[in-house]
Amino acid sequence: MNEPIPIAALNQYAYCPHRCWRMFCAGEFVENHYTIEGTDLHQRVHTVGENQREETWQIRAIWLKSEQYGLIGKSDLIEEVDDNLYPIEYKRGHKGEWDNDAMQVVAQALCLEEMTGKSITKGYVYYAQTHQRQEIEITSELRNKAIAAITEISQMMETGKMPPAIYGNRCKGCSLFTQCVPMAKEKVSKYKEGA
Amino acid sequence: MGTVYVSQDDSFIGKTDERLTVKAEKKQILDVPLIKIDGLVILGRATISPAAVIELLERKIPMSFMTGTGRFLGRLEPELTKNIFVRRSQWDAAGETPKAIHMVQAFVRGKLKNYRASLMRHLRDYPDNDLQKWIDDLERAIDSLATIKAIASLRGVEGHGSAVYWQAFPKLIRADGFSFTTRNRRPPIDPVNAMLSFGYSLLRHDVQGALNIVGFDPYLGYLHTERYGRPSLALDLMEEFRPLIVDAIVLSAINRKAIAPKDFTSEPLSKAISLSNEARKVFLTLYEQKKQSKFKHPVMGRQCTYQEAFELQARLLAKYLMDETDKYPPLVMK
Repeated sequence: MNEPIPIAALNQYAYCPHRCWRMFCAGEFVENHYTIEGTDLHQRVHTVGENQREETWQIRAIWLKSEQYGLIGKSDLIEEVDDNLYPIEYKRGHKGEWDNDAMQVVAQALCLEEMTGKSITKGYVYYAQTHQRQEIEITSELRNKAIAAITEISQMMETGKMPPAIYGNRCKGCSLFTQCVPMAKEKVSKYKEGA
Repeated sequence: MGTVYVSQDDSFIGKTDERLTVKAEKKQILDVPLIKIDGLVILGRATISPAAVIELLERKIPMSFMTGTGRFLGRLEPELTKNIFVRRSQWDAAGETPKAIHMVQAFVRGKLKNYRASLMRHLRDYPDNDLQKWIDDLERAIDSLATIKAIASLRGVEGHGSAVYWQAFPKLIRADGFSFTTRNRRPPIDPVNAMLSFGYSLLRHDVQGALNIVGFDPYLGYLHTERYGRPSLALDLMEEFRPLIVDAIVLSAINRKAIAPKDFTSEPLSKAISLSNEARKVFLTLYEQKKQSKFKHPVMGRQCTYQEAFELQARLLAKYLMDETDKYPPLVMK
């Protein structure tokens, strides 16, 4: 059995494999204002506690684990309504154009299924900025996508092989931008040194 | 962001809340938010509180310790990054490898091109100055670099190019009372050499800090060979910056008369020269101003300070070593 994959790595990998490598293989992490806000949010979320709100049982900040997929991580919130469990992941911002947050929810669902033996059909991402829950339907398509990502991440963590840094829209706001210098490849190849 | 230099003897460096404070002779002489600091250089005799040391390490701010005259004594560094891949690629390229040859060519080319540009700029300002033969000499040395594939021979070209530049260097000094015949050090025996050595010490603090942030082992270099206690990679990466930063400051301090011959004292017998306290402060200010000055980075095509350029060049070096780019472009300024 390899080192377990942090569930959060799935989110990073779906966002940018190179960023995922920097964080989980090279051990680089730099705070920027986005991540600091995120950490503050998670300090509230990451305090273990349970309560009953009307028909809903809530449990916060418990460990999730899957032997089958080699996953480990902490959940923000899990709710149970009418014997149905679903994971809720808290995010600072609003829904982005990448499905990275969904990947994280699917990975949590895979863990929960293995831990409880129940099948999980949906989950949510809670976006703090808009105070909205985005429902994630855990389709077989999403499951397959997450499982494929797990395999790729597992290989990356084992070999240490670095996925290329590709400059694009998502680089804006990335806390590893200064380390990554994603434009360098193109700039260096075009550069003609002065006499 | 900037470096804090503490040059007052018997100062006490401490931490109050989120600020670094310096006291001397029962007076507070500095109180600066830690968030504005990216380096601390302690010159001469000072005391620093453990709380301040811990805070600086946690914030990944390196500390360098130097003698009052600027001789480098040592550093206290935050932990290296966990990026083992950078260090592995650095070690893989060691020796007479194609990558090492490419980098040594680049370090030497960067330095000699910046030497040449400095002489040419001077010649434009003072057309009567007879610098052309040295410029031509440097040009030939630069041209020869691309075809030389042995690191020892590249070192030879670097040595020759440097000798040519230092021969021309006295011609760049245009204030009375300063003379320069040859580069000397350990200890420097004339004011110009004293300033150059001091400046290179400060530069080393900055370049080594940048290499550490990126995750390099500063002791494994390519142009500079391995020797106990010598930060060879820092010396390698310093080469392209020497003329751009230190030599430029020394010349401008002299020629604009910011520092005068009377600002130096000479030891008996050894003739070792050092700057007066006041002149040292002037020099430190000039150095900090230079580091914060902006220019357009020729590769990245954006505004950047020299302080940022140290780290950027270190990142470009890491990218070359890790096969992300096909060359290492030294910082060459026109």
